[in-house]
Amino acid sequence: MRSSLPVLLGRALLIAAFLGAWEALPRLGVADPELLPPFSTVLGTLWGLLARPALRADLAITTVQLLVAVAVALPVGTLLGLLLSENPRLGAIFDPLVFFLFSIPKSIFLPMFILTMGIGFWQKVAFGVFSTVFIVLMSATAAVRAVRPDHVFVARAFGATRAQIAWRVYLPSMLPILLEGFRLAVIFGFTAVLLAEMYASRTGMGHQIASWGENFMMDRLFAGVLLLAIVAIVLNEAIRAVEVRCSHWRS
Amino acid sequence: MQPLAELKPVVDEAIAPERPIIQVSGLDHVYPSRDGPVHALSDIALTVGEGRFVVIVGPSGCGKSSLLMMLAGLRHQTAGTILCSGRPITDPDPDRVGVVFQEANLFPWLTAIDNVAFPLALRGVSRAERAARANAMLELVGLGDAGGRYPHELSGGMKQRVSIARGLVQDPPVLLMDEPFAALDEQTRMAMGEELLRIWSATRKTVVFVTHSLTEAVYLADEVLVMSARPGRIVDRMEVELPRPRTYEMMAGAVFGRLRDRIWQQIKAPAR
Repeated sequence: MRSSLPVLLGRALLIAAFLGAWEALPRLGVADPELLPPFSTVLGTLWGLLARPALRADLAITTVQLLVAVAVALPVGTLLGLLLSENPRLGAIFDPLVFFLFSIPKSIFLPMFILTMGIGFWQKVAFGVFSTVFIVLMSATAAVRAVRPDHVFVARAFGATRAQIAWRVYLPSMLPILLEGFRLAVIFGFTAVLLAEMYASRTGMGHQIASWGENFMMDRLFAGVLLLAIVAIVLNEAIRAVEVRCSHWRS
Repeated sequence: MQPLAELKPVVDEAIAPERPIIQVSGLDHVYPSRDGPVHALSDIALTVGEGRFVVIVGPSGCGKSSLLMMLAGLRHQTAGTILCSGRPITDPDPDRVGVVFQEANLFPWLTAIDNVAFPLALRGVSRAERAARANAMLELVGLGDAGGRYPHELSGGMKQRVSIARGLVQDPPVLLMDEPFAALDEQTRMAMGEELLRIWSATRKTVVFVTHSLTEAVYLADEVLVMSARPGRIVDRMEVELPRPRTYEMMAGAVFGRLRDRIWQQIKAPAR
């Protein structure tokens, strides 16, 4: 799916218009610059913030918490999804529980994580895992349905073992759907980690953003938002690139 | 008369030098269904000589595909034995039998050459040897320059050629083919039949080919086995004494028509 020149041009125009409005509205006095600092001011603040080691440490800790949470949730969720969809009876038993846990907002459990685990690194990770593992599980279940029995049969005819069928038939069949789930998991995991940091923490970008907001430091608040948006976009696009590589054959 | 009778074994050997490679005896298959047990195959006995092209033909649902899947070790019979190269077949054994399915069933995430090399990859054959052998097989089926293409970039006939190459890549003595051309259009089907005979004469494999097409059966086979409707049993067995290479013109000949008609008489009767 390559974008044509007019589309690219249109996108550039849209971004320019958005940033232009952000710059112009406070400067023209349409928006209160105290509430909405102009884009150039925010950019300057961001540059200044990035020069501070403390902030870079905050950014690093948030990113590491997210990556650890995702690194746990992906294999655990995938394996649980496989287990539940390969054992129909087990799947039927656990179905309601999984669906409930998938459906309820995870944030309501945050106080319990704080009570049991404190407000440190592993509490953020645990809450991140809890918030994403069911998304991965659901997408793994959907991905298993994409495995064609014919392909399994062929592999068996050529003497494939169970492990070989898992690795050479299940995995490539599941990968496109699985990666889509992974991408969602990263987005939700990011939200979860930031939320946990904003709620109760001594470190991390979420903690910083919350305190800037409480102290009415709007330029820093917006700079933080900008920074996190960039991190989210980079992660998202990286997974999407892998997704495109792995699902070219589905066209 | 006496000297002639003594000569006879010698003559037989000259006509049929091939040794049996597949031996099936007393094969029965019953499987459970919602409407009670279904008797799918009944008392099947057959012998396939090495290097022969044997076609099993029968009405749909007669169990001919099931029989083939049992020869491949992919399905288990209720009773009876299947020997291949003297040893029983109980599980898939790609060293003894290669299989070509009705749908080509290529893996869409692999290129043509990787699809052909798939059985070798399962065996841990080195990358270089895999590539060389898969390439040789693609050359054999006339797709030497399509190795890098993905299945969705291949036509139906090309996919089935890749599937044949995959069935042959481990160099098994026996190739089992389950209605491999049934999903193709008429022209492609004719061309593929011709192509298959060329590949067969180049490799001298033993082929067991299942079809419901009478024309295909007579055109391809050394020997045709006719199966009845369920419970499937072998009701007739005939030698196709047409010279090789087979040609399109032979289909209009008297021998061809007679054989075709004989099969038809066998399979239409129980359908009434």
